[in-house]
Amino acid sequence: MRRRLVFSLVGIILVAVGTLTANLIAGNRPSLGLDLQGGASVTLEPQGDYDPEALSVAVEIIRQRVDSIGVAEPEIIRQGDTVVVNLPGVKDQKRALEIVGRTGEVLMRPVLQSGVPNDNPSSTTVPGGGSTTIPGATSTTAVAATSTTGVATTVPAPGSGLRFASAATSTSLVEATTTSLIEATSTSAVESPSPTVAGAAVDVTSTTTADILLATGDTTTTTVAPATPDISLTNEPDKIAFLNGRDGFVYYAGPAGADGQVFKNDAAAEISAGGWVVNVGLKDGSEGEGRWNALANECFSKSQTCPTGQIAIVLDGEVISAPVVQTNNFSGSVQISGNFSESEARDLAKILEFGAVPVRFSAPTAQTVSATLGQDSLDAALVSGLVGVALVLLFLVFYYRRLAFVVLGGLAVSAMLQWSTISWLSARNGLALSLSGVTGIIVSIGVTVDSYVVFFEKLKDDVLAGRTLRNSATRSFQSAWRTILAADTVSLLGAVVLWFLTVGSVRGFAFFLGLSTLCDMIVAYFFTRPTVILLARSKFMNKGKMFGVSARRVLDGETSPAGGAQA
Amino acid sequence: MSGRWRRLYNGETTVDFSGRRWWGFGVSIALLVITVVSLLFQGLNLGIDFKGGVAWEAPATKELTIDSAREVLESNGVETANAKIQTLGSGDGERIRIQVGEQTPEVRDAVQGDLAAKSGVDSLEVSVSNVSSSWGRSITEKAIRALLVFFLLVSLYIAWRFEWKMAIAAIAAMVHDVAISVGIYSLLGFEVTPATVIAFLTILGFSLYDTIVVFDKVKDNADRYAAQRVSYADITNVSMNQVLMRSLNTSLAAVLPVLSLLVLGAGVFGAVALQEFALALFVGLLTGAYSSIFIATPLLTIMKEREPKYRPLVGQMSLGTDMSRLATTGAPVSRRSARATVRDDDGGVERPEPELVGSAAERAAAVLTHPPRPRKKRKR
Repeated sequence: MRRRLVFSLVGIILVAVGTLTANLIAGNRPSLGLDLQGGASVTLEPQGDYDPEALSVAVEIIRQRVDSIGVAEPEIIRQGDTVVVNLPGVKDQKRALEIVGRTGEVLMRPVLQSGVPNDNPSSTTVPGGGSTTIPGATSTTAVAATSTTGVATTVPAPGSGLRFASAATSTSLVEATTTSLIEATSTSAVESPSPTVAGAAVDVTSTTTADILLATGDTTTTTVAPATPDISLTNEPDKIAFLNGRDGFVYYAGPAGADGQVFKNDAAAEISAGGWVVNVGLKDGSEGEGRWNALANECFSKSQTCPTGQIAIVLDGEVISAPVVQTNNFSGSVQISGNFSESEARDLAKILEFGAVPVRFSAPTAQTVSATLGQDSLDAALVSGLVGVALVLLFLVFYYRRLAFVVLGGLAVSAMLQWSTISWLSARNGLALSLSGVTGIIVSIGVTVDSYVVFFEKLKDDVLAGRTLRNSATRSFQSAWRTILAADTVSLLGAVVLWFLTVGSVRGFAFFLGLSTLCDMIVAYFFTRPTVILLARSKFMNKGKMFGVSARRVLDGETSPAGGAQA
Repeated sequence: MSGRWRRLYNGETTVDFSGRRWWGFGVSIALLVITVVSLLFQGLNLGIDFKGGVAWEAPATKELTIDSAREVLESNGVETANAKIQTLGSGDGERIRIQVGEQTPEVRDAVQGDLAAKSGVDSLEVSVSNVSSSWGRSITEKAIRALLVFFLLVSLYIAWRFEWKMAIAAIAAMVHDVAISVGIYSLLGFEVTPATVIAFLTILGFSLYDTIVVFDKVKDNADRYAAQRVSYADITNVSMNQVLMRSLNTSLAAVLPVLSLLVLGAGVFGAVALQEFALALFVGLLTGAYSSIFIATPLLTIMKEREPKYRPLVGQMSLGTDMSRLATTGAPVSRRSARATVRDDDGGVERPEPELVGSAAERAAAVLTHPPRPRKKRKR
């Protein structure tokens, strides 16, 4: 019995200290919610009918976008239908909310021109394996950056894509990794959108895949631009737009010929002919195959509206990929090939899939909290929380005397366990400690202390009834444990129901309520029980005043019946 | 330590809770009537999270006061008639908080910029929150649905762990607590925010926790007196006196941190979010502690007294010394002496100070399950 108690006591202390040390060494710290460190939060609610699967794709896309802003600990949670994006500590809050709140819209635009903006020379290193580096021999300008250009050696000549078509029963669109280089800043062209300026600003420095890009040149731009003079930096579907590509290129693309909804919801990344390709089906009828083929035809014939022969796949204003069209008649499905890595191919497939069944979001609630306000709240909560704990302990020392040290020890073990759990979950699952969580923990001190009060009161009753302390400790724990278990079960029940059925801050509160209740039960059984029982056997508790009931008084009660206790 | 305190401390009080049950009911009914009237005529002061709208919060300076904030709103074409502008906190941390109805994103950003300019800080230092009314509605609906599910599960649990009459009494006490807390919020015009809702949920948990601890004791005692003719009012009286100190202790331990949040966190530091929590919690903790003793247990007594086992004993009350004897020895006093005590009590205002009864042997017999082993006979 004694050995078991010591084992349990040492065990729980080892676990508490061990997890604390492990978390400290790993550098896990509780991450703070945006109401404690400042930041931005937005709740997105899908509008109209949507595909539940598309929603999870949408969440993935939002995650990627958030990652691209470089937020330290973004928290993206799907709660039923809604998606909550919390960006604690984000610097440019307004921009962050704008980026998150964008509709995930996939557009297909014919590419008029593409190239590397010369104010960003580093982006000329074209990503993607399997490309050879061709020195800028044909370069006519002095821009150093244009001298190295990655070119896909596997780009087949037009028409050869049909070979894939027969092999895979789908027509291939081959990704052109490099097309042409524009030596012009995109902004200058936009500020003065007149055709001549735009044309002059475009200077083709090298055409590496000559047979594909025959028609590119000044003339194309000047002739196309007047037809649709609206040039937009934003991704408006019916206007010509300058768009940034994921590959670091800038694309000058015409009005969208189709959107993601021409495709079926079956895009998949596959291995074909030794490389990663993306296959996607086309919807039947004029809205699917018809629209796509009209656009493909334009580009295949390299008409003025699509001189490069490329179709840019644009997600939210970013060109994901700009494959060259290899045939004018697609039937049933489309294959996109190029120097994809596996992740690039999967990414593109995901985006096409999402484009087929887009989810439109509205933002029913958005919030930005300034960093100073968050810090103030945190300080206030911490200081008043500590003062509150100190007051409770003072009261307990006054009331239970030496037993109060057991409470102190129990609270310390409980605090270590909670801190470890919160830090670990912060690091692993992106849990963030919000103000409601901190308040929940402070309030739970009351519940935790109650378990001790229930136990100690029972202990006192037993001792007053004339039992030895040693005997009462074991017995009173058994009865107190039943009470604690019943009461804590109800708290846990409440936490679980709230966690599953509510959203937002109520949910965060439910988590911390559940956590502190669990810690309470663990500490009561593994720490308080052995400590009190062991203390009851030691000399420390059996002399002088223990928890306010003096041993003397109990002795009186035993020796002189009836009247003794009244003294 | 005076005698009264000592008895309280040692759990030897003999307060007649059951006999005064109508006091508790009276107070609660009065409070509930006030709640209903206040809700009908004044309603609740709902925050923007439930109504929808925009709120800004900016550091207050000499240039940015309540009046100049109103000017900012007007210059941006925002209706100021229903705008709520208040100053929060104190000293260096003073802030201006503005709440208005739903606005377009352009107006929202423009006001944020203007406030920042007036206050002389970066626009990132101006906090904005924007909530659509549909969202607030859906949050409320979800919370209410969660609450109903919680009630159902808790009733099932209590019915299984204790008995269904206790479940009904516990739920009634919970509803009572929430109703009165809502009433106080309505009466004093405090703003209801999501934090308030969370605090109310905490209150529910706390009230229930308190009630269950009392019921656990009642059940223990009901089992203990099962073989004797003890009225249910006596059982609950004894139980409540036994857990009185625990209830007071626990409530104090729970209220102290909340009081610290309210006084230090909200009062000294001026953290509004904390104030919202602490206020609701403070109100709720008090009603929670009150209801487990004055609502839940008397309700249970009334329901249990209708059972055949306890019906003949209604009116039999062990008061004062008798209650003390009942608690320590586990044996009820005779019916006649019980009547006599009641008659005595009716006459005098002050009951005679209950004497502590029972020798150590008697007390031991009360808690020991077996009688002491008889002394062995000496061998011949």
